[in-house]
Amino acid sequence: MKTRRDFLKAGLALGASLPVFANLEKLFAADVPAVGASATTPGSKSILVAVRDGGRAAMLDKAMSALGGMEAFVKKGQTVLVKPNIAWDSPPELGANSHPETVKRVVEMCLAAGAKSVSLFDNSCDQWQRTYARTGMEQVARDTGATLVNGKDETLYRAVEIPNGKKLQKAKVHSLVLDSDVFINVPVLKHHGGTLVTACMKNLMGIVWDRGFYHRTDLHQCIADLLTFKKPTLNILDAYAPMVRNGPRGVSADDLVVMRTLLVSTDIVAIDAAGAKLLDRQPSDIRHIAIAAEMKLGTMDLEQVDIRRFKLA
Amino acid sequence: MSPKLLKWLRVAVALVVFAALTAMFVDFRDLVPWKISHALAEIQFVPSLVALITGASLSLACVIIIFVTLAAGRVYCSAICPLGILQDVIHRLIQWPKFKPSPYSRPHTWLRQIFLWLTVAAAMAGFGGFALSWLDPYSNFGRIASDIVRPLVTLANNAAVGPADRLGWHGLFRVVPHWASIGVLAWPVLVLWLVVVLTVWRGRLYCNTVCPVGTLLGWLSQRAAFRLQIDQAACRKCAACLRACKAHCIDLHSGSIDFSRCVACYDCMDVCDEHGINYRFAWTRKKTISDSVPAVTPDAAIDPQRRAFLSQAISGIVGTAGVSRVLLAGEQPPAGSVGETKNLSPVISPPGAAGVEQFLDRCTACHLCISECPTGVLQPAFLEYGLLGLMKPRMDYRAAFCNFDCRRCGEVCPDGAIDLLDLAAKHLVKIGETHFDRDKCVVVTNGTDCAACSEHCPTKAVSTIPYGNNLRLPLVKDELCIGCGACEYACPVKPEKAIKVTGLHRHGWAKKLVEPKATLPKSNGDFPF
Repeated sequence: MKTRRDFLKAGLALGASLPVFANLEKLFAADVPAVGASATTPGSKSILVAVRDGGRAAMLDKAMSALGGMEAFVKKGQTVLVKPNIAWDSPPELGANSHPETVKRVVEMCLAAGAKSVSLFDNSCDQWQRTYARTGMEQVARDTGATLVNGKDETLYRAVEIPNGKKLQKAKVHSLVLDSDVFINVPVLKHHGGTLVTACMKNLMGIVWDRGFYHRTDLHQCIADLLTFKKPTLNILDAYAPMVRNGPRGVSADDLVVMRTLLVSTDIVAIDAAGAKLLDRQPSDIRHIAIAAEMKLGTMDLEQVDIRRFKLA
Repeated sequence: MSPKLLKWLRVAVALVVFAALTAMFVDFRDLVPWKISHALAEIQFVPSLVALITGASLSLACVIIIFVTLAAGRVYCSAICPLGILQDVIHRLIQWPKFKPSPYSRPHTWLRQIFLWLTVAAAMAGFGGFALSWLDPYSNFGRIASDIVRPLVTLANNAAVGPADRLGWHGLFRVVPHWASIGVLAWPVLVLWLVVVLTVWRGRLYCNTVCPVGTLLGWLSQRAAFRLQIDQAACRKCAACLRACKAHCIDLHSGSIDFSRCVACYDCMDVCDEHGINYRFAWTRKKTISDSVPAVTPDAAIDPQRRAFLSQAISGIVGTAGVSRVLLAGEQPPAGSVGETKNLSPVISPPGAAGVEQFLDRCTACHLCISECPTGVLQPAFLEYGLLGLMKPRMDYRAAFCNFDCRRCGEVCPDGAIDLLDLAAKHLVKIGETHFDRDKCVVVTNGTDCAACSEHCPTKAVSTIPYGNNLRLPLVKDELCIGCGACEYACPVKPEKAIKVTGLHRHGWAKKLVEPKATLPKSNGDFPF
């Protein structure tokens, strides 16, 4: 087993020499050309799967089968990081965090696909142990055998360079993100007082140690900049009952509107654009979506996206 | 009961109580159930007395301890008091390298009286909370365990995480150690040093000189129904008891035991081969006792006048606390009749404390709430409350913010200083108010979005409004604000935050945000894309 110092050295070396995402993109370009191809690859359209009117698990099953199953993303023996939104000490029914039912199904699918290990973590805003317990993630880990990892331990984060970032040019990123073979982003769709919409891109603030830097510097630009360093293998957006006001923490269950929708895509910009539309917002009005599209990190124009729609009822 | 059994029963109870109390103060992983922590703290004499006298709760432990002491002496001091047990542990450790024990020593009666009187006088003058925070043995132990031992154990845990991981055991994780500021930490370090030095030098000297609880219970113990006495017929003057006595209160010359200093550890009974030391009923045989007690014992030093003074003083403690409560209550004007600025406090007391005065009055600074606080927002104050509030918990929004759904401090507090509010009340109790300085806000200074404050606000007292070129600027609605500090903690502006919470001298109530069920106009059952 590597020591932490080895990890740190390796991380710095990786950060300095070759960006990690390049490896992953190559990997998936080879394995699942139809789905995993980068949105920026000329001549290919991003795919967005949108499912409505089912239970959380059923919608996820439908969406994943439309993408060739979890096996298209998780190979036997790979290590998987599932990154839900576990920010707030708030129960599942208040919609402030990714729903445990969705997260549980994702973990089960990864394990069924032959994943060696599945880890879960977030750099929570509220006290992390309370948050992990209250959101049901502890139960998910117990039920599935996933490893719940401390997101508030700075020694688990490694400094990386982000050469293509405009404002965010270095950051400390959780080692799980850097070391896992597969990175699955499972946020919840919500209103946000600052960014208006929070979905897949904003959820990645939870893989970085110093969120204050984002807020202090240029929130939207930093959110987009991180994508030049790392994009999730897959994004699964829980829009079963999005919080449509008082976000991202919410005040009561009255802040939620039941929508029974789930979106899945490898294109993080496209899926966030669709999420914005679900919340009655124009994607171009959400600055980090617009910036990411401008930086060619994905497709904001949903006309250019191959959307596969399913209604389960 | 045989002497051996009695001693080992005392040792067993003491070890269980000590281990549990240490565990709950050191509990950096929140493994000890709070009900156990609360129960163990509540059976301590001073917290129970404070809770009872202030009317915070019907805490009868102090009454039971008084009755037990009147029946059989200072059982509390050896079996329940953690600072007493700590001294026994130290005593046991220094016994191993064969430390030569000193024999009978004279009581420092005047010094004992001074500490007790100071406490009583302070309580009469309305500074009881201050005096007890310095002199309560349980609270002193609490600070030693919470401020010194806990961070050290946390560091040891953190050092063990790596090796444990490599051995394939992932049950450990790193925890940020919370060190009190040096101005606070100095005091438990000093007390620990004093206790160690006094214990090494003269056993339970601290308990029989400094500790007001020891003196008060000693005064009762001297009058106990059952007292340990030396059977003159059986005693061979071998002095084994003398060597065993941690209180140095056995005088073999006169064949007497100074029961005001005896901490009822029963070590003397245990070592006496002749079974020459036993509990004797001492209330009906006054003549016999005075026969066996020579004229120079400390008993004789207590004259009727002083006795009267003491009993007056004790009723004084009880009385003044009541009076000061009435006075304080009298000072409190009806809600809303005082200008807002008058109620502002630079320091923020925890939710359930009702306000700064009452909190400082009741809190003995045992630091149990600080140990138990899951976020670490509760930190010991240095001079933020003023000198009277030294070491007492305050809300430190640089360290963390108060978890909206957490009531742990109220759950564990044994003094009634932090009342256990029900969750609905905790959600509305207003301990501070928020001030937003837009000229410092990054949205204004940088022209970029932020809203970290609004994001963290659990009541939506901080929301956002459109500003400039498609930006969102924070907006504070004070009537919704509970002063939890989430906004201040989250604010990324350096060095001075753009949004800050100021405490309320007397806590108030916030309004609850009530809105109709949310709808989306275009949510028509189809995909909007």
